[in-house]
Amino acid sequence: MTTAAAIEVRSLSKDYASSAGPVQALKKIDFDVPEGAFVSIVGPSGCGKSTLLQILAGLLSSSSGQVSVGGTAVTGPAPGKISFVFQDATLMPWKTAMDNVLFPLEIQRIPERERIRRAAHYLRLVGLENAAQCFPHQLSGGMKQRVSIARGLAQEPQIILMDEPFGALDEQNRIKMGHELLRIWEATGKTILLITHSLTEAIFLSDTVIVMAPHPGRILEQVDIDLPRPRTYDVIGSPAFGSIRNHLWRMIEIEPAEDEAMSTAPAL
Amino acid sequence: MRFRVHAVQAIFLACFLAVWELATRVGNVDPDVLPAFSTVLRTLADLVRTDAFLSNTAVTTTRVLLAFIIGAPLAILAGFYVGERTALNARLAQPLNVLVAVPQSMLLPMFILIFGVGNVQKVVFGITHIFFVLMLTTIAAVQSVPVNLVVAARSFGATSTEIYRRIYLIAMLPLLVSGLRLAIIFDVIGILLAEMYASQSGIGFLMMRWGEDYRMKELMAAVLLISVATIAFNEIMRMWETRLSAHARTST
Amino acid sequence: MMRKLLAALAILVVWEGVVRLGLVNPIILASPSGIGSALVTDGVPFLHAFRITVTSIAIALLASLSIGVGIGLIVGATAFSYAAFGPILSSLFAIPLIVWYPMLVVWAGIGPESKILFAIISSLIPVALNTAAGVRQIDVRYEQFGRSVGAATRTIYLRILLPFALPSILAGLRIGTALAVAGVIVGEMLTSTDGIGFWISYHRTVYNTGHVYLGMLLAIACVLIANAVLSHLERHFGAWRLDELANIAPA
Repeated sequence: MTTAAAIEVRSLSKDYASSAGPVQALKKIDFDVPEGAFVSIVGPSGCGKSTLLQILAGLLSSSSGQVSVGGTAVTGPAPGKISFVFQDATLMPWKTAMDNVLFPLEIQRIPERERIRRAAHYLRLVGLENAAQCFPHQLSGGMKQRVSIARGLAQEPQIILMDEPFGALDEQNRIKMGHELLRIWEATGKTILLITHSLTEAIFLSDTVIVMAPHPGRILEQVDIDLPRPRTYDVIGSPAFGSIRNHLWRMIEIEPAEDEAMSTAPAL
Repeated sequence: MRFRVHAVQAIFLACFLAVWELATRVGNVDPDVLPAFSTVLRTLADLVRTDAFLSNTAVTTTRVLLAFIIGAPLAILAGFYVGERTALNARLAQPLNVLVAVPQSMLLPMFILIFGVGNVQKVVFGITHIFFVLMLTTIAAVQSVPVNLVVAARSFGATSTEIYRRIYLIAMLPLLVSGLRLAIIFDVIGILLAEMYASQSGIGFLMMRWGEDYRMKELMAAVLLISVATIAFNEIMRMWETRLSAHARTST
Repeated sequence: MMRKLLAALAILVVWEGVVRLGLVNPIILASPSGIGSALVTDGVPFLHAFRITVTSIAIALLASLSIGVGIGLIVGATAFSYAAFGPILSSLFAIPLIVWYPMLVVWAGIGPESKILFAIISSLIPVALNTAAGVRQIDVRYEQFGRSVGAATRTIYLRILLPFALPSILAGLRIGTALAVAGVIVGEMLTSTDGIGFWISYHRTVYNTGHVYLGMLLAIACVLIANAVLSHLERHFGAWRLDELANIAPA
């Protein structure tokens, strides 16, 4: 891993006007994401993690502070540099999987042969080469999200931002997709910044976990995950994992019930 | 946001009226073709003091109300009858939908052949406009009553009348009122059309004659009056519907 | 199939008999043979009128669709515009459409123009309202997605939002079509020089019941044709929606 930071955030703040008065969604957010790293952001609802991601993606403006990706400041969406994967796949139901992956490439005016080459390549990478001509309603939740990831990868960005990509999946599929995502990350070496509600998922996937708290939205701590890679599901039951998770949990006081299910599940 | 919404709506309305008013004053529009808003208002004020206008308005209103008083209960009863009997409903669904698909306004000449050009024809024409829309809405209303509520009530020993009154009626009211609202609007359209087509009385007749005589001031005054009246009626009914919906949701 | 044909034939025979036997006043109800003879004697002017009416309807619908979808896209664009202008559209729709017609005749004359304008006004609002509602219900993430991949606003509206709104637009078009057909024909009945409505009206005044019923049948044919075209469009553009609803995807 190089030391150059793919994402740099300095003193980022975001304020909203709401009917209840001004709301500080983000206050003085500071962090770096090194190139090629896998970083997760966790925190309870209302801590501003989605807002933060949208600002990083250029979909939302900040009130103050600096955000730069790959050395240049973020002023708006940066297609081809930053890809965004949404919570519900956000596929166009009237297009096939292949056409969905091709769509952004068309917008970005990539020549046709290159478009098709990339789409085929990344669909194969996510394991869906046989589903290329399927429509979204013919695909399962996990498959749809894989198409969405392929779509993000096909734009060959520098960084990929993911907002609760597995939120709509049931637990079994979340675990499977987590493995898949790590495999894809190791194969492509992209910088990934992912938001999740699940502490377990965050620790399992990431090099670093950023913990946020609400009112105002701020970073509590950045925790480096020193677990060895490649990671398999067994690591979740290990004492090292457990102590990290307890540490994080105590910081946020997430409902134990939600996370307990994951950590006490039998190893695959 | 509520305040901003209403502010924008008020500004929009004001701009519209301003353009209307200034079209003849400042613009090149011929005031005989498009009289200014103020002119139309003044004409309307004069009209409502003339006997001819008032008596014609009364005639139209009487026809509309008569059609409603006769047609609405018939439609609701028919809707109730059919809605309760699922087999009958299923069999009638297709022919009913076909009937409704044909715009009834077009059938006016046929009505005149059958009933002549008198008041009876107009009222009957209005009734048919009311009938189908209200019957279909009543059927939908009957079917919208949650079945489990009825079953639960019976299991508590509620009598039929109690069930009808407390569950059916409350659950059905919002949809029924919505149907009534549409029915009256269709009723008015039907009566006005009949008066425009072949009549010697009524607002529709007046409007056609004014149109033929190029008396735009009177014509637009009548359009303004009818527009404001129907919009006001519509809004009141809508508010009533919303209140009934909320009531239905909380009490059942 | 055979049963339906035989049933239809039986109805025609009974119908003919009822009129010939004088059970129903022939002025009120035309017999099938009466309608047939009307077709034979005046088939040509009727078909010419039919063409005029259908052309007026088609022009009105095309205009109403473009303008209505345009207005609907703008009104549905944000929650605010929908909250502000949606009610204005709904309120306008409460006005009995027929009151516009005499004014339109003064402004546009007694030719087909006034009928086309009347039909446009009649069908515009349901199309606009349904388009706006259709756009409103689209998940906001799709607009964000469009922006995140660098699509221009126009592209986002036309290639992402519009297809989502199509089923709603078509639903609005159904209502609008019925109103447009009625609008043209009723307009022709009231003040016109040609078109199906005019001829129906004319023949009524001279009690040519056969001709009146022939005209009515052609008018109903207009409605059926319009509905058939719409159903075809619905199947073509709404197909993915129907499939989506029909298949429950595995979890």
